[in-house]
Amino acid sequence: MVTSYSSSLKIFLREAGDIARFTRRFFSQWFRPRYEIAELLRQCFVIGYQSLPLVGLTAFILGLVLTIQLRPSMEDYGVAAQLPAIVGIAIIREIGPVIVALIFAGKIGSSIGAELGSMKVTEQIDAMEVSGTNPFKYLVVTRVLAATLMLPILVLLGDCVSLYGSWIGVNIRGNTSFYLFWTQVFNNITFSDVLPAFIKSYFFGFAVGVIGSYKGFKSNKGTEGVGRSANSAVVVSSVVIFIIDLLAVQVTDVLGLN
Amino acid sequence: MENRAINNIKLGVFVSGGLLFLVVLLYMIGANRSLFGATYILKARFENVQGLVSGNNVRFSGIQAGTVKNIQILNDTVIEVVMVVDKKMQAIIRSNALVSIGTDGLVGNKVVNIVPSKVSAALAKEGAILLVKRAVSPDEMLQTLYTTNNDIAVIAANLKMTVQRINSSTAIWTLLSDPYIPKDIKLSIAKIHEATSKAASITNNLDKMIDEVKNGKGLLGKLMTNDTVANKFGNIVLKINSVGEQVDALAGEIRGLVNHFNQDVKAGKGPFNSLLRDSLLSMKLSNSLDNIQQGTEGFNQNMAAIKHSFLLRGYFKKMRKRAQKNIDK
Repeated sequence: MVTSYSSSLKIFLREAGDIARFTRRFFSQWFRPRYEIAELLRQCFVIGYQSLPLVGLTAFILGLVLTIQLRPSMEDYGVAAQLPAIVGIAIIREIGPVIVALIFAGKIGSSIGAELGSMKVTEQIDAMEVSGTNPFKYLVVTRVLAATLMLPILVLLGDCVSLYGSWIGVNIRGNTSFYLFWTQVFNNITFSDVLPAFIKSYFFGFAVGVIGSYKGFKSNKGTEGVGRSANSAVVVSSVVIFIIDLLAVQVTDVLGLN
Repeated sequence: MENRAINNIKLGVFVSGGLLFLVVLLYMIGANRSLFGATYILKARFENVQGLVSGNNVRFSGIQAGTVKNIQILNDTVIEVVMVVDKKMQAIIRSNALVSIGTDGLVGNKVVNIVPSKVSAALAKEGAILLVKRAVSPDEMLQTLYTTNNDIAVIAANLKMTVQRINSSTAIWTLLSDPYIPKDIKLSIAKIHEATSKAASITNNLDKMIDEVKNGKGLLGKLMTNDTVANKFGNIVLKINSVGEQVDALAGEIRGLVNHFNQDVKAGKGPFNSLLRDSLLSMKLSNSLDNIQQGTEGFNQNMAAIKHSFLLRGYFKKMRKRAQKNIDK
């Protein structure tokens, strides 16, 4: 039993070390020429734009459901009028970034892991090296950068759609104008609500990109390995998102932004 | 190639949309925190800021006017709150405006409320220190509520005791169930109503009388308003007074006379004594009066005989005719 835990710990630590080394490799390569701008834009389109429908739908439902479920408790305390403010703070500060990041990890993390994994097992990456193309720069750096840059945009648009859903939720049993709803939201959120959430979403995107790429790049054992890479990319990304969220809360607390 | 360009445009729209929302979000927050546009500083000094922090809203008559910039402790009893206020409010907020710390709703954030004073004053300048109005804190409200609750509990206990006494009292229920009492009460009320009407009528009459007196009508009015009548009335009073004095003197004389008579009667002297005590004199007087009466009757008969004599009958006829004429006139 102890041996099993010990070997699991060794695997975990080795994995963590490999991811750290992979990340260092990314930082050592991403600003060096030659820049793969075209591939970066294509990845941004795939990772960002094509994720918008899924993220938008999820965010809309999230805002709507959160509002409907919060209303009875708010009414019990006689503060139903504060519903837009509370939902707004909750979505912008925490729920929006984390939920969008998890959806993003599920869609993009698995996609990157499976795509790079299949390229790895079919030796396309080796072929790229042979042909003189830097596969890490072309495949990994572009995907990690695209994920890092696109997730904050998705979070912002997801927040917007989610608040729209919340407005509809408020109006299911009430009568609040669109203008009043947004005024109440804006009057109650502060820079310390928006900026930490916006900044940590970059870290979420980076984590999803790095872990998905790492899992795909290190894939082996044929098609089974591809599936495993995709799966573990999602699981590890999700866990790392929560760890980053925890660290972000601690940092913002230390900085007095809570 | 064309497909890639379209994708790039879509990507551009996507990124622009996200960044636009971020810009709007930051602008709206900044606008609420008075970060954009011209502002000026106002200050207020409190003994207790009740949990106010930098960034809390400042409201002028309930309208968002700015935010709290910072809070400094000047000494152990004075805390200075520095407020950033929209420059547009400089033409409105006066130097005698009152500042208090309140709460946004019952459980909301702290806010600084600026309320205009009813008295006009100069406009508050940059850095002006406004007057502070002590706000009622929730603790004080709860303390008052606690005292009120205790009072209500005592009142409720007394009320309960009173109700129990009423319930256990047979006299009250007998009174309440007596069918005649309501009729009596109705009658009493009717009589009270009637008495009130009469009192009103009397009051009206008194008012009229007073008005008449004021207008110089009636004896009293003339006395009070007309100097001539008043003087005459004064003279009459003086004459009555004089007559009274004379009557007093006369009464004194009569009293002296009566005393004199009494003394005579007691001493057995004088004519009154003889009249009262002398029976012979009384008898003589009685006989004399009888003789006078007989003489008078004889005289009357003689006069009737004279009236019917032929010598004087004409004279008496003329007398009767003259008397008849005087009556007719």
